[in-house]
Amino acid sequence: MSTYVALLDGGRREETVEVTQQAPGLYEVRIGGRVHVVDAFKHDYGTLSLLVDAQSYTAMLDDRGAKVHVRVKSSVFPLEILDEKKLRMRRAPARFTAEGRQTITSPMPGRIVKVLVKAGDPVREGQGLVVVEAMKMENEMKSPKDGRVVELLVQEGQTVEGNARLCAVE
Amino acid sequence: MSSKRRIRKVLVANRGEIAVRVLRTCREMGLATVAVYSEADRGALHVRKADEAVYLGPSPARESYLVVDRIVAAARKTGADAVHPGYGFLSERAELARALEAEGITFVGPRPDSMDAMGEKTTARRNMQAAGVPTVPGSPAAIAGEDEARAFCQVIGYPVMIKAAAGGGGKGMRRCDRAEDLPALWQSARREAASAFGDDRLYVEKFLDRPRHVEIQVFCDEHGNGVSLGERECSVQRRQQKVIEESPSCVVDEAMREAMGAVAVRAARAVGYVGAGTVEFLVDASRSFYFLEMNTRLQVEHPVTEMITGLDLVRMQLEVAQGERILAQDQVVRRGHAIEARVYAEDPARKFMPSPGKITYLRVPGGPGIRDDSGVYTGWVVPPYYDPMISKVVAWAPTRDQAIARLIRALEEYTVHGITTNIPYLAAALDHPAFRAGDYDTGFCARYEQDLVRPPDPRLEQVALIAAAVAAFKRDHDEAAAFAVRGDVGPARGSAWARLGRASALKGRLR
Repeated sequence: MSTYVALLDGGRREETVEVTQQAPGLYEVRIGGRVHVVDAFKHDYGTLSLLVDAQSYTAMLDDRGAKVHVRVKSSVFPLEILDEKKLRMRRAPARFTAEGRQTITSPMPGRIVKVLVKAGDPVREGQGLVVVEAMKMENEMKSPKDGRVVELLVQEGQTVEGNARLCAVE
Repeated sequence: MSSKRRIRKVLVANRGEIAVRVLRTCREMGLATVAVYSEADRGALHVRKADEAVYLGPSPARESYLVVDRIVAAARKTGADAVHPGYGFLSERAELARALEAEGITFVGPRPDSMDAMGEKTTARRNMQAAGVPTVPGSPAAIAGEDEARAFCQVIGYPVMIKAAAGGGGKGMRRCDRAEDLPALWQSARREAASAFGDDRLYVEKFLDRPRHVEIQVFCDEHGNGVSLGERECSVQRRQQKVIEESPSCVVDEAMREAMGAVAVRAARAVGYVGAGTVEFLVDASRSFYFLEMNTRLQVEHPVTEMITGLDLVRMQLEVAQGERILAQDQVVRRGHAIEARVYAEDPARKFMPSPGKITYLRVPGGPGIRDDSGVYTGWVVPPYYDPMISKVVAWAPTRDQAIARLIRALEEYTVHGITTNIPYLAAALDHPAFRAGDYDTGFCARYEQDLVRPPDPRLEQVALIAAAVAAFKRDHDEAAAFAVRGDVGPARGSAWARLGRASALKGRLR
């Protein structure tokens, strides 16, 4: 038997799932108090055909680094699946908060069309900092907290990569 | 000036799904084809679909797809005798049509002077008023600056729509509800217009209450014939961009269709129009309609009309460009109902933030009445430089209810991995009671935002958890072989194919 912990809603919720293999492709899966008999068949890339207590489902698993997006019909569940070892490692460091210095990064490759603040400016949570244009659309990057702009790393007109550091608020 | 010359080689001055769409018809017509591409698009699908391909320049559109000289040079170099501009980019630039004309190359579209008359939105409004076509109240010409705009808005009253004079496709367009919001919206619209069209002039129109966007597809030839192919309703829009389009419209009956069709053909005739064009109208709550603008090109949503009429609009464009005659109005037959959904690489949960990146897996829907016009493939990296639309799915069915059900079914089949798409959002919009009832307007997406970006169905969470856990278990225990050749247990028992598979696997092992 293997035990996994699924992190849901961006890590705010956990579910424990126990999987026992009964035969090739046949599993007993326990979630909370419920036990399901699951026949699983792997199709092409990321597609899993599941017969759960005789109900037929197609689950499509889109691996995104540590996370996986599981789609069933029109519902997408972004989740992270951890075994017990990974879970212990995960629990060791402190949890992320908006305390201290926050670095704002570009969500995608694009161009800086507007810088709305200067280094040293006081800012409020939700206040616009930098406008990034990608795919002909503008996106305003907002401050995650009340504080002060301690570092400004980009200029108007500059091209940036995805995840590029734009500025820091403390 | 009408050249009766046969077209033999077509250069498609575009990229993405529309380039693929045009190239497909060219292939069917036995025409030779030339693709053009930017640095980011070397691996794009349209490059593969063409007989020849010419490199244009660096990835940003203003250094490649928007450079008239490079398009003309590519056509000259490859000996193309016609250029199809698709939509967007240079499709509504009279400058390209003129440059091609000077080279003796056919532009697949209207004459440059018709584009001048319609392409500049404020000129178009004046021309339409002169032709007796009803228009929305607004500024008679482009507005010089923010102060002048504020003064004008004070006169016509808020809410207003700020629009790009050279615009189209929702770019450089902002709805402004209050005077204090004007400066920020004006500047932002100006920047977007400059980057999308290379022209930052703006004008202002009164914003109608709960308007519906209904447009008429017209077609004209150079022999003075003009027909209407009926309407498309495109009121489901987010950020002024169309998301879902359908025909027939729920507010248009036969009498209104005829009236709008006649006005649209008159509008096209007023500017000596030739080729495919779309006359866009706003329809208010009392079903009065106002001219909005004319798009002097093929529209993104043209497949809706193709499904309803059975016609190939790209083929018709090429035939008209060769000087042929179009069909007569009484030969236009409309049948059933068609709906199109635009699949965008974007995340509706993050304010429709574009989601460029690598498509790690793609499976497109099939089955009865489904058409998928796509420009991507598994392994393609959606570049950040262009529009985030990756595909259009269209469903046809005898009735509207069946078409809705069919399109939702197709969207459930549509699988795109690696990037985030709006597919669940599209399904939620089609499934919304207001859409199903046909009771919607251009405010639909904003009004029902909460319903459309809906959380996943909690009833399916257990299935998702089972899938993720079983996949993890499988990976951890590396039992790929057991999945491929199943043993005597499980539901495959008794199947001759399963026994055969196991037998040959065993034989292989003994050898």
